[in-house]
Amino acid sequence: MPIVRVKPGVVRVEPRKLSVMERIYFPAIIGGMFVTLRHLLRNLFNLKRLPIISYPEVKRVYSERFRGRHILTTREDGTTRCVACYMCSTACPAECITIEAGEDERTREKFPVRYDIDLLRCVFCGYCVDACPEDAIYMTGDYEMAIDTRARAVVGLRDLVVPPNFPVEPMGWRPYYGSLEKKGTAGGTGIGQPLRPASYPDDAPPNPDVYRGT
Amino acid sequence: MSTLTRYSAIPYTGPAPTNREPYVPTDTQKMDARGAEIASRIGAEQETGQDLPTLVVRRERIVETLRALKNDLTFTMPLDLWAVDYPRRRQRFDVMYQLYSLQNNERVRLKVPVADGEPIPSSLPVYKGFDWFEREVWDLYGVRFDGHPNLRRILTHEAFQGHALRKDYDPAQRWLCTEKDVAALVPKVDPRFERVDTDFERVTLNLGPSHPATHGTLRIVVILDGEKIIGAEQEIGYLHRCFEKSCETHTYQQAIPFTDRLNYMSAIINNVGYCMTVEKLLGVEAPERAQHVRLILSEFMRIADHLVCIGTNLVDMGALTNFWYLFQPREEIYGLIEACCGARLLPSYLRIGGLAVDVPPNFLENAQRLVNMLPKYIDDVEKLVSRNKIFHDRVVGVAPISAEDAIDFGFTGPCLRACGIPFDVRKSNPYLGYETYDWDVPIAEGGDTYARYLVRMEEMRQSLRILQQAIDRGLPSGPVIIDNPYVALPPKEKVYNEMESLIYHFKLIMHGIQPPVGETYFQVEGGNGELGFYIVSDGTKNPYKVRCRPPCFAIYQAFGQMITGQTIPDAIAALGSLNIIAGELDR
Amino acid sequence: MPVKRIENPGSIIERKEAAPPGEDAEKGLITLPGEAERDIEDLGGGSYLTTKLDTVVNWARGNSLWPMPFGTACCAIEFMSMVSSHYDIARFGAEVVRFSPRQADLMIVAGTVVDKMAPVMKKIYDQMPEPKYVIAMGACASSGGFYRMYHVMQGIDEVIPVDIWVPGCPPTPEGLMYGILKLKEKIERGEIRR
Repeated sequence: MPIVRVKPGVVRVEPRKLSVMERIYFPAIIGGMFVTLRHLLRNLFNLKRLPIISYPEVKRVYSERFRGRHILTTREDGTTRCVACYMCSTACPAECITIEAGEDERTREKFPVRYDIDLLRCVFCGYCVDACPEDAIYMTGDYEMAIDTRARAVVGLRDLVVPPNFPVEPMGWRPYYGSLEKKGTAGGTGIGQPLRPASYPDDAPPNPDVYRGT
Repeated sequence: MSTLTRYSAIPYTGPAPTNREPYVPTDTQKMDARGAEIASRIGAEQETGQDLPTLVVRRERIVETLRALKNDLTFTMPLDLWAVDYPRRRQRFDVMYQLYSLQNNERVRLKVPVADGEPIPSSLPVYKGFDWFEREVWDLYGVRFDGHPNLRRILTHEAFQGHALRKDYDPAQRWLCTEKDVAALVPKVDPRFERVDTDFERVTLNLGPSHPATHGTLRIVVILDGEKIIGAEQEIGYLHRCFEKSCETHTYQQAIPFTDRLNYMSAIINNVGYCMTVEKLLGVEAPERAQHVRLILSEFMRIADHLVCIGTNLVDMGALTNFWYLFQPREEIYGLIEACCGARLLPSYLRIGGLAVDVPPNFLENAQRLVNMLPKYIDDVEKLVSRNKIFHDRVVGVAPISAEDAIDFGFTGPCLRACGIPFDVRKSNPYLGYETYDWDVPIAEGGDTYARYLVRMEEMRQSLRILQQAIDRGLPSGPVIIDNPYVALPPKEKVYNEMESLIYHFKLIMHGIQPPVGETYFQVEGGNGELGFYIVSDGTKNPYKVRCRPPCFAIYQAFGQMITGQTIPDAIAALGSLNIIAGELDR
Repeated sequence: MPVKRIENPGSIIERKEAAPPGEDAEKGLITLPGEAERDIEDLGGGSYLTTKLDTVVNWARGNSLWPMPFGTACCAIEFMSMVSSHYDIARFGAEVVRFSPRQADLMIVAGTVVDKMAPVMKKIYDQMPEPKYVIAMGACASSGGFYRMYHVMQGIDEVIPVDIWVPGCPPTPEGLMYGILKLKEKIERGEIRR
């Protein structure tokens, strides 16, 4: 489009006057068809450059910062890192996290008896991860969350906690990158914590690749 | 690239928050001097200590004051009208007017204190653009405007009772709306066509709110005489998500995801506007690196916004191919944003005082690839449509608006520039260092749908120019968020290992950011025009009031007038070119 | 599972090969007790002939979903992403986007539905011919999301029945496609009988 400078910092876009050829309408249409045809041919002979992602056979690789479904990490001894400090539920703008705290009898350490995230309320803003002072909650690369009953949308400890040997590095939205050396495990020994009920028989073992979205 | 450099090893020794002391804007003396000048010319009282020249006007005198400001002091553009509720005062509402002078590039704010039940004379005889704004204040605050011809609810539904933004309204109190409550909307016939007698029967036609061409949730009722529209009225509020009330019940930091969802086409720009307003209130500034990233992402978002606008506009006119071509680069822009923050459309990437995390190492590289890639797609679309006679027939001369009318309605952004007025906030009130870049404001003549298309196309190219310069300059090194534990969370490695940082962390999450008591306004150039945020702080962790100045709102109220005399297909083409985003329109 | 990347020089978006649908990786991660038993249970009952006929009908229905986007807000943009050039929903027979409820059988409610919009949505749902399915896309449509406010409906199931909920704000296009695939499965299993 022709452009005329009106004054410093301002340009005027001149409308294009149609020539007689363009007014006849067909040449311009054919020209437009050529653009489309070029796209078609380019795509036909260069299938690699096609933008299409044939989900689910081919998946898009989201970055390692992707904000998907949450997980709760565990210490080496199998207890949850979460100390039920309510930081995440305070920071959550959607108020979708419900925590009930219990107390370890020997170490007087708090731990979550109940930790529910309502995935249908969650807006995946990552504030809970930012707020966690214990490196306990991550967001994963998992976006395949469609569910068919509303009750299933509330995920509890059973769905959130991953096993201790679960490789969480690199995994979804993490607070402020850089080295995250952690001093010990904040005293939690897990002695007083009740064991979580065993996984249901039809539970597939968590597949780190799926969580990670890689 | 590690954010370890973000903090020095020395503990924070800066000033503690001063939320009990009033907010003092940086340029208050200049503004006070200018305010005194205006006040003496108009003969009104002045309120000092504000970030804009502020006048306090008694309600009886408002119309004459506005008229004097418009005629004598060139404040021709009505920017915004809103209210703030202070229930403990006898005159509990402050109704605020904000005006802009294109000639002198200055703003003025008027405050009209009124008690509950006291009416204000309507300012419609002076500014047409305050029409819907007055209806909104009536709807949400219950302040009556005397002489307004159509003072009914605008954002909430007919069965709604009470006024939602009053402080004593329970935020969760909903009212059931059934089909019976929906009032039949009959627009007035335009006086130009009232006497014209044609052979056709007059038909009232309802478009929307669920209609493919209404882009979400707009509703237009038109009266047709044959094919000609002889009267139109728009109904909005089908996406009123209570943004302002939500902000009042959340902390400053938690409001950022809400701002994302205002103009969801260009979410980062909303984030920038909101965060910079709070930063202005706090008297802090984001680090250079964060500002640079904000600028780059804002410009990418502006391009993405225009891509969707033009793409969907052309779809409405039957040119579907462009939609595919334009969505391709948009998806690539999503890729860039997602690599930064992990979300595609609504990133919530900014934090007050900087960014949530540093950008990934290959950020500039990918941005450069995108900048190289984008012109190709824009050119393709231009080749397809700009010489196409069908397109020309559909858009040239359709739904024009004159420059005077556009200013009087409070148009900003591409729609105003399409009328030949080179107003751009990035030039008039530069922020993020826009003044240091070499770029031009595109304008076009005519103010019709074609002019809006031309301006948007050229604006994308100008944005690419800015981006190229920004990429060439490279990212400044340094932290991405300020070193102030009263504003930004301490870095995680310190939180895990240091007691002091852990306490700051707890305090900031629990008590939030507590800015000083005061009010401020800041504006950025959004995808559709001036996007302003006005925030009142009472020193607590929740904003007392967040007002968003939505550019669409002002633009869309003129739509009825623009399409009167045109046909329905013209109206569809015009609606797409205005780029009305319901999230921002209804908030 | 080793990740096999797919090169695309024309894009900054990376791709990889994944397991085809129906294999392990496709199973949802959120599991409930008894999910595995459910698919067996539902196909039982009835005589041989009607069961087979049902299966065929359900198969046909599941593979020809015609969506009607009831797009109100941000999620509608992601819906547009799903039907635009990067994703291909046509492979599952659901690309015929109809804006008229009378020609559609799948309503995708994308975006916040406020109280003012509720009667409109109800009316549009009523206008759809049977059998009809509803997907609530995103947090707002599913539960109101973080808008617990005076004008926002707390989930569209206050007014109309929902078959599939897709969490996310907004869900990625893949997330929505996964939802459609789940719905397809659900229809083919014969779980939805309206």
